[in-house]
Amino acid sequence: MKPLNLITLILFLCGLAWSLTRSDAGVRKIQSAYFTVISPFVNSGSAMETKIRSFNDEIVHSDELSAKLQLAETELVKLRTEITHLRKLEQENIQMRAALDFQQRTPFSVTAAKIIRRKPSNWWETAQIDRGSDHGISAQHPVIAAEGLVGKVDRPDDESSTVILLTDEACQVSAKVEGNGGVQEVGILSGQRAQNGDNPMLRLQYLSRNTNVKKGQKVVTTGRGDLFPEGVVLGTIVSVERGAINAEAQVKPAVDFAALHTVFVLTQ
Amino acid sequence: MIRYHISIFILVLLACIFQQFLPAVTGWYDAKIYILPLTFLCCAVTVGFSPMLGLAFLCGFIWDAQNTLSPAGGDPTVYDHPVDQMRFGYSIILYAVMGVLMQGVQPLFRKGVWQLSAALTGVATFFYLLSEYLLINIIRGDYYFPASIFQQMWISALLTMLCSPLLFFILFKLARWFDHTIRYDGLKRRYFKFKSLEEES
Repeated sequence: MKPLNLITLILFLCGLAWSLTRSDAGVRKIQSAYFTVISPFVNSGSAMETKIRSFNDEIVHSDELSAKLQLAETELVKLRTEITHLRKLEQENIQMRAALDFQQRTPFSVTAAKIIRRKPSNWWETAQIDRGSDHGISAQHPVIAAEGLVGKVDRPDDESSTVILLTDEACQVSAKVEGNGGVQEVGILSGQRAQNGDNPMLRLQYLSRNTNVKKGQKVVTTGRGDLFPEGVVLGTIVSVERGAINAEAQVKPAVDFAALHTVFVLTQ
Repeated sequence: MIRYHISIFILVLLACIFQQFLPAVTGWYDAKIYILPLTFLCCAVTVGFSPMLGLAFLCGFIWDAQNTLSPAGGDPTVYDHPVDQMRFGYSIILYAVMGVLMQGVQPLFRKGVWQLSAALTGVATFFYLLSEYLLINIIRGDYYFPASIFQQMWISALLTMLCSPLLFFILFKLARWFDHTIRYDGLKRRYFKFKSLEEES
């Protein structure tokens, strides 16, 4: 072997050993530095991508819009009559909200974020959002949507964060089955490895062997484990499989991950 | 020669940024074009062993910085079966192995047969994805290999391979701009040895 190649090989092995022995904190530092460098490119690229997509949408929908306009005019007459009724309901809603004092009751501070990239890595179910530590977001903060739990923040950077989705095997949530006739059925819910397509399923593990959970029952968070608040909807039971030691259920997620655009990070 | 090497290091960094905007094709088993590994594979066949190792380290390091997940967190009494993660730095080994594989066809590439190298980028990408997935299975303790994963791997490899002529075109352009000739030292040495033996006789 040529001396130059030998020296390079030794240097390579030293670098490899250094990389493999980094602690979690060391890896976070490396990743933070990397994403600080790359985030201006990602952010400007995402903005450009959004503009191009909206331009394309406008072109595609212009014909459809003219047809819809005619239909909308007929609907307008019908809707005007309904408006009077809705105004009355709206007034009632405002009064009820004020009575509940919702903002004071909720223990969370919520930050809205937009998904700017989906599944950037090979095997992990992750997404990138446009809010980071500059907006008060930290690692492990829960991420929700109107329908239920989306996941948790894996790595916050200054202006963006990586979210590990509920559909990933590594995102574990302490969960319970609702409406189980007073019997508390608790397990660990997570995604499954190697799931493709738009309809991923979740796996609710460590249920009791003689569990009586049934198809259609709702699964929510327990609030245990210091990660997720209690009562956030996770999904619905699809099937139950009983094993020798415990039972496992397949759960359909409440959130449609393919159609997800805006999420909310619980920052407190 | 040094200018060519600098230019391919810059090309790798550009590929890294470009990779961010290549989404997975949901209709095709979440397959995607792996532009960073492809850039590395194409560059690896045009350079010597030492720059190839340097590139392998850079690409593997960047890949892991991009993809490594944080520890699961939470109360360990509740989450007592955390899912094991891949160690930071494993990709460097995979990239180096792929690079060595590409260097194996360097003599033919030097003769102008770039098509074989292009085909090999697809094979290397497939084996890269396969080994990465098998490593996850080994680390997490249970073997699970559905047919959809195999589909995802080969479609990704095929899509990636189809982009390789473009990458080779860019590399040939760069080599021409920076007066770089892709050399194979082994052949050259053997050639000179043969010539000197002829002269002696």
